[in-house]
Amino acid sequence: MQQIPRHYIYLLLAGVVVWQLLAPMPLPISPSTATRGLYEAIRAVPEGKLIIISTDWDASTQAETWPQTEAVIHACFQARKRFVIMNMQPPMGVKLANDIALEVGKQYRARYGVDWANWGYKYGYGNVLMAMAKDIAKTIGDDFYGRPVTRLPLMQGVRSIRDIGLVVEVTGLAGVTEYWIGLIQGPYQVPFAAAYTAVMAPGYYPYLDSGQMKGMLVGAKGAAEMEALVRSPGKATTIMNVQSWAHLLIIALIVVGNLGYLLARGRREERRQ
Amino acid sequence: MNPEVAILWAGAIATLGVYTILYRENPISRLFEHIFVGLSAGYLLFTTWTQNLEGKWWGPMVHQRQWYWAFAPVVGLLFYFIYSRRLVWLARLVMGLFFGVAAGTTFRQFFPLYSPQIYKSFKPLLPQAGLVWADVILHHWIFIVILLTVMSYFFFSIPHEGRFGRGLGRSSLLGRWFLMIAFGAMFGNTVMARISLFIGRVQFLLKDWIGHYLSWFAQRAGG
Repeated sequence: MQQIPRHYIYLLLAGVVVWQLLAPMPLPISPSTATRGLYEAIRAVPEGKLIIISTDWDASTQAETWPQTEAVIHACFQARKRFVIMNMQPPMGVKLANDIALEVGKQYRARYGVDWANWGYKYGYGNVLMAMAKDIAKTIGDDFYGRPVTRLPLMQGVRSIRDIGLVVEVTGLAGVTEYWIGLIQGPYQVPFAAAYTAVMAPGYYPYLDSGQMKGMLVGAKGAAEMEALVRSPGKATTIMNVQSWAHLLIIALIVVGNLGYLLARGRREERRQ
Repeated sequence: MNPEVAILWAGAIATLGVYTILYRENPISRLFEHIFVGLSAGYLLFTTWTQNLEGKWWGPMVHQRQWYWAFAPVVGLLFYFIYSRRLVWLARLVMGLFFGVAAGTTFRQFFPLYSPQIYKSFKPLLPQAGLVWADVILHHWIFIVILLTVMSYFFFSIPHEGRFGRGLGRSSLLGRWFLMIAFGAMFGNTVMARISLFIGRVQFLLKDWIGHYLSWFAQRAGG
């Protein structure tokens, strides 16, 4: 039982995934406090202030970060909050998030430049944020489509970071949160929330506990919870149904492996006696 | 061929090609890995130019006659003097500049990052207004015990001998157990993340790729 060939394990896992995608047996999804925190933070943004969605992810993590971004954008449109997309690294995120905003925006008849905009990929991490804190238009310059951001109606009255009501960082990249919290949330008291891939989320719970972070989405699970809150079940809800069954299989395999180990140890001890 | 169909086929072939690694190391999976790396690098170069350099450097230098921007790449190229023994000091000059900027930014970040977490670790250990014993024990006591025992695990300068040392040893052992539980939770999340990525790809293959043809056949049969 300890030496099941890995190919069989892969096949079993693939079988469970395909089975649940073709004939789903949905399990209930109840939003956690961390997810509710992000949802409430979006709704609490004062009129006239913008939300920044920093989409620091790419295709390699899109199974989790795509539905997270999609759910956050749904929440912004539903609450009638204006938002901008930006990205510091890797640059693919800004294009993928743009596609999501265009698609989701159709449902709410949102207009580019009025209800949302895309500031594009801005390289420079901390330097970009420190400059943005003082003068956003000068730091950003042109939007994703190469037009000066000062011409966007949404940018009227937006000068510095004080005109930002919330920063939501969606990322699969460790290290960017530290820039946002250390250079923007802490010094300027701009509310901050985040959506992380499940791998990196445990490292950021202390920021949630200390109140530096208003809310957090953890992997596809957090995205599915957000989809439940915005009442728009999508990719993450499907993933989580499948995920739960895949986890049951992995737990069963761990139990089988450990049973095999215990039985083998028992036999060894019998032989010694 | 319709470009959307071509994209679907490219995605499907690349996904299946990369997953051949599950059988064993092979040239097909290597080929798709290299294509992915090449595409990412090319995209990075393209977006760095269109989203940053074109508007912030090339435009002002060429169209607004801010000629002094021509010196920016000269400063950047100084890094390459690292390969010259005689002129390596030029590379050190520019590295020193970057170290200074990075150290200054890190120093500025440090206190806003960690001080709120330090304040929040001072939690009341007795019931207060709005806090009952159950809350205090469940949240605050457990937090403090874990915090202190895990911190004691990282005291390497005191030998675990004598009355105090043995006490520290027991506390550090408990701290190690708590760390193991935390690593277990992290590993659980890692498994969840990896399976999410796999489900995402299977979803693409089943619904977008095969699903596209199923709906096409269904339309044909219906029409």
